Amino acid sequence: MKQLLNWFRRRGLEGGLDRELQYHFDRRVADFVASGLTEPEARRQATLELGGPAQVREEVRDVWLTQWLRDFAYDLRFSLRSFQRSPSFTATALLSLALGIGATTAIYSLVDQVLLHALPVREPERLVLVDWKGDQVANGFGSYNLMSYPICMDLQQQDRVFEGVLCRAATTVNLSTGGDYKPAAAEIVSGSYFTVLGVGASLGRVLGNDDDRAFGADPVVVLAYDFWRTQLASDPNVVGRKVLVNQHPMTVAGVAAAEFRGIDVGEVPSLWIPASMSAKAIPGFGQLLDRRTRWMQVLGRLRPDMTLARAQTGLEPWFRAMRDEDTRRAGFPTITAERRQRYFASTLELTPAPQGHSSLRRRLSQPLWVLLAATAVLLGLACLNVAGLFLARGSARGREISTRLALGASRGRIGRQLLADSMLLALAGGALGAALAPLAIRGLIAFLPRDAAPNALEASIDWRLLSFAFLTSVAAGVLSGFAPALHAGRSSLMSSLRERGDSAFGGVRLRKAIVTLQIAFTLVLVIGAALFVRTLTELMAKGPGFATSSLISFGIDPRRSGYSQENTGRLIRRIHDEVRNSPSTVTSGVARFQLLTGGSWNNPMTILANGRIATDRDVNENSITPGFLATLGARIVAGRDFDERDSRPEGEARPEGQAGYRSAIVNESFVKRYLAGRNVLGTLICEGSGPDAKPNIEIVGVVSDFSYRGIREESEQVFYPMFEGRGSGGNFYVRVRGTSESAAQTIRSIIRGADPALPVGYFRTLDEQVNRALNTERMLAALSGSFGIVALLLSLVGLYGVMAFVVTKRTREIGIRLALGATRTSALWLVLRDALMMITAGTALALPSVWALGRLIEAQLFGVKPTDAITIAGASLTLAAVALGAALIPAYRASKVNPTDALRFE
Amino acid sequence: MSSPRFPIPQGTLDMLILQILALEPAHGYGIAQRLEQISKSVVQVNQGSLYPALHRLEQKEWLQSEWKQSETGREAKFYALTRTGRKQLAVEKDSWARLTGAVQLIFNEGSK
Repeated sequence: MKQLLNWFRRRGLEGGLDRELQYHFDRRVADFVASGLTEPEARRQATLELGGPAQVREEVRDVWLTQWLRDFAYDLRFSLRSFQRSPSFTATALLSLALGIGATTAIYSLVDQVLLHALPVREPERLVLVDWKGDQVANGFGSYNLMSYPICMDLQQQDRVFEGVLCRAATTVNLSTGGDYKPAAAEIVSGSYFTVLGVGASLGRVLGNDDDRAFGADPVVVLAYDFWRTQLASDPNVVGRKVLVNQHPMTVAGVAAAEFRGIDVGEVPSLWIPASMSAKAIPGFGQLLDRRTRWMQVLGRLRPDMTLARAQTGLEPWFRAMRDEDTRRAGFPTITAERRQRYFASTLELTPAPQGHSSLRRRLSQPLWVLLAATAVLLGLACLNVAGLFLARGSARGREISTRLALGASRGRIGRQLLADSMLLALAGGALGAALAPLAIRGLIAFLPRDAAPNALEASIDWRLLSFAFLTSVAAGVLSGFAPALHAGRSSLMSSLRERGDSAFGGVRLRKAIVTLQIAFTLVLVIGAALFVRTLTELMAKGPGFATSSLISFGIDPRRSGYSQENTGRLIRRIHDEVRNSPSTVTSGVARFQLLTGGSWNNPMTILANGRIATDRDVNENSITPGFLATLGARIVAGRDFDERDSRPEGEARPEGQAGYRSAIVNESFVKRYLAGRNVLGTLICEGSGPDAKPNIEIVGVVSDFSYRGIREESEQVFYPMFEGRGSGGNFYVRVRGTSESAAQTIRSIIRGADPALPVGYFRTLDEQVNRALNTERMLAALSGSFGIVALLLSLVGLYGVMAFVVTKRTREIGIRLALGATRTSALWLVLRDALMMITAGTALALPSVWALGRLIEAQLFGVKPTDAITIAGASLTLAAVALGAALIPAYRASKVNPTDALRFE
Repeated sequence: MSSPRFPIPQGTLDMLILQILALEPAHGYGIAQRLEQISKSVVQVNQGSLYPALHRLEQKEWLQSEWKQSETGREAKFYALTRTGRKQLAVEKDSWARLTGAVQLIFNEGSK
């Protein structure tokens, strides 16, 4: 190690050496001169004596460095040769390490890409997310950390804190670059977006503040580099061309820098649209300048000298004044005193956002850390396994090592040799692992959902990943070589030379400790796997609450193709009529919002039943056609399903200024939470919880519970009839006859017949949709399950190895025991007792850590507690049974020892 | 006076350096002067091999070094024995004594 250090500070060492030699030389010359020689003669004499400074320097350098390197190269060559001699040992060890390092590298790659990687923008470390903590008294749509566009504009004035502020919202538009319309992911951004990030154009120009001046005045877009390359074949004349966004022509201003893929790693946009054009990007959206509509994420770039804490206090006066002013603004809703208090108690929170903003990160960060921890345990297990193998080989090589010691090799030298062995093995394993990692990463990425917006995740190996794999390999090498090296350094020369096969029990103790640790690690992984697998099976058993077989869904959004509200309703009715009457359809229904996507339409509500009840949390809402509930197979528990009575006939306008619904159906959870024991049918409800809410919608039915946002959730839901109030959406649910493929074909031709230019947003079976909704759980269960199995295998090999070793070492002892009248069963028991002790000790080590780690994964579980006794007992028993099975083979061999042979062995 | 001088036996230089430094810390030139006195009479020391030896011993942590003002007023690198160096010297002296003792015994045996 010291020599390695020397390499880094050799300039300093060289300087010192020169001074030292110069001093010697000068003194010598002075002495010679004093004794009567002439100066030149004295110099010649001194040089002669010293043997030339260059040569001395060379020799000293040797001392510092090359000796060690030569030794190391020798060690490596020696290791290589010894590995060639024992290919099966090498293959086993190599595979264990490659598996461990490959898995860790693959998971780390995702952790890095999703959680850690900074955006490829100018000084990303100065970016912060600005978030409103508290009640904004605003309607929201979008994912998380939402604020209004005017607030973003206000924040841009805070130039003592920020160098610049941007806001953005992700959406999907129907895009045509000349041919068919296709759904494309878009980012609606403030004009400051590219300037604040410091991202330039690779062609033409990016958006600037001039592109975001007046509402609706700036029909320009910037294309993403990848979109331009793949969809437009890198057309060099694209700047100035017109593209159609939801049927509105917009001019391409430029193509963004190649490496820039938006600020959300989970949703890569194909194009950027200025916020001033938001009404075109989101059909029917006119609330850009409304302070009570939150839909954008706000990111700021701090001034260079600004700290997070000072920025936060610096914004406080403006934030207070802004809220005061807001309450006096026209359009600020009438709210309760309590809600007002909550509004004023809000704070503005700044968090560092060098990685941008991503809801994928929010969803995956916990599962990914859990998986990284699991792979770390797995890698540790692999290292222990290799350490055990080395020890086994070490005892086989005992003679060789003793001979080398006897011939004068230092213990340090032998230890280093063994360390070189493991290091070489680990680096080779690491290289293999890194080569396999892209495959694993690709598999992992396949677990993630993919909609119109692709994610930016790649299965490529970059230098960050390579250095991670390298460091991991070095750590693995040290870890797996440490115990054997230490052991070699300690074992007594005399005893090992004298050894005949019954001493050297020090090695056994070390190996038992290693196996005990392995069992502990394995148990942690197996229990983790059992918990995640149970979570998945519980969720699958629970299901969405309706039968998914032969149920398909598809979505259209005519509003994005330029249809007005009325025409949208008309088109959906028309398509629905045709789908319903198609021979491949059993039943069908349409919903405004899609099921099982994680999102929903939700609001607090007010219920009029023996006085007003305001719901204590948001109720999930949807509007549906008659037949929708029946198509899903949901039961009507009380009252009735919607029918023609509930929808206004085509063409009849809804009453001005009202939501316009007259009837509603609620689910059982809603009844249980708010109306238990009351007469539900006929009760009046309405959206909103303020004093201005007027309950005027009558509950006409109660339906059984089924999932809306996701499988896990149990929520209160309210359904309104479609084509009545605001907004109709085109999410069709069709129970089909025959295969879903042939039905899909029929349906596609119906849509084409209705409007050939109308793109289909998605088309999938409900089985598929359920799978997508469970993909995080599936990833956790699949990965932790395979980790558990690999861990089991590794520790089995370890345990078997040690027990076989013990039996070989104790053959003579067992022989004597048998000769003295011990029974075969007692010989069996002799060996099994050892194994049992290791298993018990390992379990005792693992259980407290399971208890501690359980809290970390609690949020990921469903239907099972991290301390679930049955799971833990089951996993422990499985491990114990399998481990005992592995020990049984050597134990059986021990019981079959022939006393005569065993004694003749001596 | 001009009896032939022996090359210093392998491994002995280290021991001699340790021995010289056991008395007091010295710089390379000082050690060379002491060796010179010994070598004039019996053995031959290549002064050039002195420095690799010093650095080797320092690497093994038997010596420690420090830049100090020397008797001429210039800065020189002074070497001093460390605790392990002192132990090592004792070990080497002991084994040397045993080796020479043994050699002597054999000689005595042979001349009987």
